[in-house]
Parts: sequence; C-alpha cells; structure tokens
Amino acid sequence: MTAAPGKYLTFFLGAEEYGMEILAVHEIIGVLPITRVPRTPPFVRGVINLRGRVISILDLRRKFDLPAVEPGPTSCIIVVAAHAAHVGLLVDRVSEVADIAAGDIEQPPPLGAGVQTDYLVGIAKSAARVRLLLDIARVIDAGDLAAAGPDGGAPTAA
Amino acid sequence: MPSASRRTSRAILSRFDELSAAIGRLSVSDLETRGALRTGVLGLIDRVPAKEARACVSLRLVAEALRPDRDRGQRQPALHQAALSLLEAVRAYLASPKAGDRLSAIEGRERSTIAIMRNLPEASPALKPRTSDLIGLTERRPRSVVARAESLPALALPNDTDRSLLGDFCDEAFEYIESAEAALLVLEREPDNGEAAQTVMRAFHSIKGTAGFLKLDGLVARAHHGESLLGERRSRDGFAGRIAALSLRALDALRDTVKNLDASRDGEPLAYPSGFLGVLRELEDIDAEPGTSAAGPTGPRGATSASTARDSGATHSARVRLDRLDALVDAVGELVVAHWMIAQDPAAGRDHPELARKVAHAGKLVRDLHDMGMGLRMVPLRGTCNKLVRLARDLAHRAGKQVDCRVDGEMTELDRNMVELVADPLMHMVRNAIDHGIEPPDERQAHGKPAAGSLTLRATQMNGQVVVALSDDGRGLQRDRILERARARGLVHPGEVPSDADMLDLIFAPGLSTAEQVTDVSGRGVGMDVVRRNIQALHGRVDIQSTPGQGTTITLRVPLTLAITDGMLVRVGDERYIVPTTNVVVSFRPDRGALFTVGGRGEMVRLRHDVLPLVRLHRLLDVDGASEDPTAALLMVVGAGDRRCALLVDAILGQQQVVAKPVTAGAGHVPGISGAAILGDGRVGLILDVPQVLDLARRAQPNTQAVA
Repeated sequence: MTAAPGKYLTFFLGAEEYGMEILAVHEIIGVLPITRVPRTPPFVRGVINLRGRVISILDLRRKFDLPAVEPGPTSCIIVVAAHAAHVGLLVDRVSEVADIAAGDIEQPPPLGAGVQTDYLVGIAKSAARVRLLLDIARVIDAGDLAAAGPDGGAPTAA
Repeated sequence: MPSASRRTSRAILSRFDELSAAIGRLSVSDLETRGALRTGVLGLIDRVPAKEARACVSLRLVAEALRPDRDRGQRQPALHQAALSLLEAVRAYLASPKAGDRLSAIEGRERSTIAIMRNLPEASPALKPRTSDLIGLTERRPRSVVARAESLPALALPNDTDRSLLGDFCDEAFEYIESAEAALLVLEREPDNGEAAQTVMRAFHSIKGTAGFLKLDGLVARAHHGESLLGERRSRDGFAGRIAALSLRALDALRDTVKNLDASRDGEPLAYPSGFLGVLRELEDIDAEPGTSAAGPTGPRGATSASTARDSGATHSARVRLDRLDALVDAVGELVVAHWMIAQDPAAGRDHPELARKVAHAGKLVRDLHDMGMGLRMVPLRGTCNKLVRLARDLAHRAGKQVDCRVDGEMTELDRNMVELVADPLMHMVRNAIDHGIEPPDERQAHGKPAAGSLTLRATQMNGQVVVALSDDGRGLQRDRILERARARGLVHPGEVPSDADMLDLIFAPGLSTAEQVTDVSGRGVGMDVVRRNIQALHGRVDIQSTPGQGTTITLRVPLTLAITDGMLVRVGDERYIVPTTNVVVSFRPDRGALFTVGGRGEMVRLRHDVLPLVRLHRLLDVDGASEDPTAALLMVVGAGDRRCALLVDAILGQQQVVAKPVTAGAGHVPGISGAAILGDGRVGLILDVPQVLDLARRAQPNTQAVA
C-alpha cells in the first residue's frame, strides 16, 4: 500500500520529518503529566488525563528505536483516533500541515532485514525536504501492543 | 378491578330473560322461532363485555343447541332444556361474576349440553368441555388469517426512511416486546389477569401504529395479524397454556423482524425472519390439535406477578442516548475534580474566608450533581429478571421438567453497565439450576417433593452492594460426584478429604462439571469457574450453599456501579496506586521480628496468628525510589477469595472514591491493573487488580504459598 496524496500533518523526531494523514488527527496538545503504566513495552510512556478521558501515550522515538529523550518545551502529544480509541503520540515538534501531491510520493525503499517498515507507506520529496509518511493505524497496532506486555495469564480460580 | 365495571348492564340481563322465556315456550317443531332465537343468542354475544370470553363461548353453545338446520330428533326437547339452563347459568354468572361457583355451574351445564348433542351418556366426568370442542361444534372456520398473511407486503424500507427515527422505533419496539414478554409469563400463571393481557395486546398494537407512521407496511401487516389472531384466540380461550406459548413465539418472530430492521440501518440487507407465518399457522390451527388446550403444559408456570401492574404506574421517562448520558456523567466527574482543585487552592481557602464559604457551597451542589448523575445510569434489574424467567421456562420445557419461577426485588437498581455484565453469569446459573439442580417430576415425587421445582431469584441492595441470590429446591450439589471428578482431575489428592466449604468451592475450579450428560444446554465443561471470574472482574464475589436433596443457593454480590470504586490511595516510590477498599484487610508497620524468609528468598511476615507472603509492590510494578525497609514503611494486607498477601507500600495517602475508567488501546490489557482514575490533582492514578497482583506475586515467588 502506498500513501495517498492529500493533507498531512508533519512532525519531527530528532532531525527526521514524518507525516501522517490529517484526517487521523484528533487534536494536538502540550505534554501533560504522564502516569507510567507498569509491565508495558518501553514505547508505552503511560497514560494521561485528557479532559476526563484516560488515554495512552506512545513515545514514537522509542517506537522507532530512536535515541530516547525527555520531553522538551517544543514536545507535543498528537492525539489520534485508532482502533476505536484515542491514543496520544509523543513527538519532538509539530511542523506543519502539508499538501502532498501524488507525484511527490515514492514507495519506501527496502531497508534490509531487521528494520520494521510496514508502517512506513511512502516517502514524500519536495524542494529540499524528505518526509516519511506513516500509516498511523499500523504504528498503533492494537494486537501487537496487547501481545507485547508480559503474559497476563488468566486468573486461576482460588 | 372494581366489580362495577364487570357487572353486566341491566339491559343485557333483561334480554337474557326474554330469550329464556321464549326458549321455555319453544315447541320442537317450530324451526322458524328456533332460528330466530338462535340469532337472538348470537346477538347477545356481541353485547356481552368483550372480557367475558368464557360467557361468549357458552352462548355459542346455546346457539348451537338451537340451530334449526340440525335436528337431533328425540333429544331435541332435552337439548332445549339444557340450552335454557345453560343460558340461565350464564346470566347468573354475568350478573355477579364473583359469586361463588357460578363458573362451575356453567361448566356442568355445558357438559350436559354437549353430552346430549353427541348422544353420549349424561355428563360423563371424562367429558370436560373444551373450548376447542365448542368452537368446533359451533363454528365454520373463518377465512384463514394465514392465507391473508401469506400475501403480506414485503418487508422493505421506504426510500425516505429517517434512519434515526427508525433507530428510535426499534428501541421502542424492543421495549414493548419485552414488556409483552413479561406479561405473557404472568398470564401463564394467571390466565385471568386482564391487565397483563392488555399489555400483550398493546405491544402488538403500538408496534403496528408506529410502524405505520414509518410506512413499514410489511411490519404493520405482521403486527396486525399477530394482534388480530391473538385477539380472536383470547376472546375464546383466554391466554391459557399453549396460546401463551405460541404468543411468546409470535413475539420472538416480531423481535427478529425488528432486529433485522435495526441491522438494516447499518446497511445490512433486510431479510425476513423465518417462522413468523409458521407461528401464525399454529395459532390458527390450535383447535385442530387434540387435547392441547386442556393439557397442563410442562415447564414453569410462573413469573413475576406484580411487574405488569407496576408498568401502568411507571413514572414518565425520556429517552436519552447512552453516549450522551456517559458524557454527562464523565463531565460531572471532571467537575468534581476541578472543584476539588479550587477548594485546595490557598487563595480560595484561608486567605479569603468569604470566598471559601462560596466555594464550599458550590462544592455541595457539585456533590449533589454528582450523585444525581450517577443515579441517571441506574436501571432496575427487571429486564434481566424477565429474560431469566423466560430462559428458565424454555429450558424446562426442553428438559421435560416443571419449574415455578419467582422473582423478588426485580426493581433493585444497578448501574446500566453492570446489569449487562451480571446477566451472563446469572443465565449460566439458571441453566445449571434447571439442568443439574431440579430433578425430573417423577424423581421429585419419589422424594416426596412437589412435581414442579421452584426457582427463586431474589435481588436486594445492601451496604452499597447488590446481592442477587438464585435458589432452587433441587437435588443439591452431589458432593461425592464433585470429589470423584476433582480427584480424576488431580484437584484433590487421593485420600484427602476436603472440608465441606472446600468441597463446594471445588465447583469453581475450571473444567469441573458433574452433569451426567452433556446437553446443549449446559455441561460444556465451562461453568462456575467462568461465573466466578466474571463476578470477580466486577469486584464482586460468589457464594454457594447447598443441602443435599433440598437445593442450592448461589449468591452474587456486586457493587452498585463499576464507575465508582472506593479505594485507598497508596504511594509507592514516585507513583500512586489505588487499592480497592473491598480488597484491603488491614495495614500495619511490622516489627523486625515479624519478618522472616523461607528458603532464603520467599519473604514472609507474621501478623498475629497468620503468616503472609510479603510482596514488594515496587518490584512487582518496577517502580524506582520506593522504600525497601518494611519496618520504615507500611504493609497493607490485601485479599481476594481465600488468598492474602502483605503489600509493601511507602505510605497510605488517604481513602477516596474514584471514577474508574478503562485503560484503553496502547497500554492494552495490563496485568495487575484493572483501570485508571483521575486523582484530585488531575493526574491519572492506576487501580490495582488485587487478584491479578496475587497471581503475579505467586509467579514471582514460586516457593511461597499464599496463606489464608
């Protein structure tokens, strides 16, 4: 599957600029106090209180195996709707809403074994910029996440 | 019902007298007068109040006795006499229906009349006048309703259907169907309950009316035929036995139709449920089947008797979409927190006493609002109870058992979300009770019990909990069989004899079923273990009592709502967790002498006479910066079921009610955590799932056993 042309929200993780379809974005908020959730994969930062709703925060740096940093003044949480729930994505900086034309989108190149790229659905090149386009539903793979935690096991009868 | 409304008007009674006098004067050969009198009697049927169905049947028999085109020769004078006395009996009954045994007088005279008609020995006791006989004698079959129904318009949505209106209609229709179902179950026990009968008819009628408004012609036709057939049957036979059973099936068919309609809103193709015409046909042919209406049906005869009576007195209600209601309750929950933050602010507190007073006043309003918001989601258990009674009835029919169902406390309220979650375990328990608990009628009688078993569902609210108990008077749990099974499965060592309580507890072990046969009803190897797990997931508990030969009672205790958890807020390192108060036994700071280890690593603590495993919560939950020294911190003894352990926490910060929210996608299911709540400072706190924490602890320290 290749990324469709249209409006993308772009953001930075370190020096890399990424894009996700704007329709998936629910809102962008500053970083709120995050409560850590034990026994979850490292990329699950924890949960926050979004106006009374408890939503999970995924650290995209950790998810993409980039060096982890603590949230800074430009850090944002992008709240997206995925798998019938809202999930917050912690990013370094939100950039812009870009119109990406079909002609600018290229297939992602194969990145060798061991690099997980199935959520990378395209590369948009324009002027001097390269943006990595994400399929956000694959980034937040609910099944993957549920299985990633240590085995909860079924509680046995007392 | 006031007797005045039942009393038949004077004019009709004097018409009875006229006809009686004329029949008394009637000569055998005067066919013309006989025909006229017959017409007169038939005319009376139309004037008798519709609810006097029994009287109408008798009048038909009188008319039949006077039929001029059928000559019964020498028996005719006797037949006139019989018709006359029957007519008089009907008159006496209508004049004061409540008086004594007038109904039995009618029946006796009907018997004589039929005996003469059929040229039988006078009033053989075997000859019980069956309404089906009477109808068969007196009537030519009306034009088939089924034939009419077969040409029903197709079930199709008009192009301009308003989908949201359709949704409302479906909701409403489901409610009507539910209330009709409850009423029919009442009618099975009390066929004369006019109000319940009205409820049934009204359901069909109302669905027909609204469907007409939405131009759902197919549905209108179906509801109409259902209504008219039921109406006809009812006016002859009342809602006895088989008719009620068929009506239930007609309702099911109607419900399936509405379900299909509901699904069609989401683009599903609009399919016809099968079986509706079949039910109609059976309703019509009910008389053709021998002995059906008089035979006592097997199966439960019972239901809640008061439910329909209460319907009429119900308060007015408005329909609100559930997501809006949830949003409101959530918003109010946030308001409580927001208010708390203002109240905590020093600027609003000691610095400005006047402001503090206003904030406190607002706080009271906020709390009231919060209570009201929570109350909005409370619904009575009645719907669930009705479903269970219906289930019991159907299951008993299938198993050839007789069961009397009673429901007590059906108006007990529970959070809407909880109602759905307790329904499954309850259904499972009803299945077990019918399938394994209650014996077949002959076995019961052999043990000196009534043939019909009794099944009682009792719901009460107590100390912020709802207690639902299901009792049967069946054979009770068979301890020897449980033990045999448990040994076969290695749950009990050979030679070990568990205490009675432990024995009963064994039925909660996975895969332990003592049913001799695996039926499609229950006995699939999953059972009480699932019930217990589901109820524990609701922070509730299951208890069981059983006396051999006398029955079993299973009691569920669940909190009123899952939305609010009463919890102890504890600090562990930099994190705060909420421990549900129901799981907290005691907290204490141990002496060094109370601590010891087993095998060099399993830490234990002695508390009075108990020895408990010590669980360092911070290690289990991987929290930094927590106190390592139990004598400088605090041990909180928590329990679930029979298991207990002492959790090492830094401090108890306080006790508070929290609004429990699910931890959703991203964090997935987190073992040890049952949910999250917004704390007073606006941050999220996690709620510990104590049973799972105990499991985690046991896995982390395999050589220690949780001790009671």
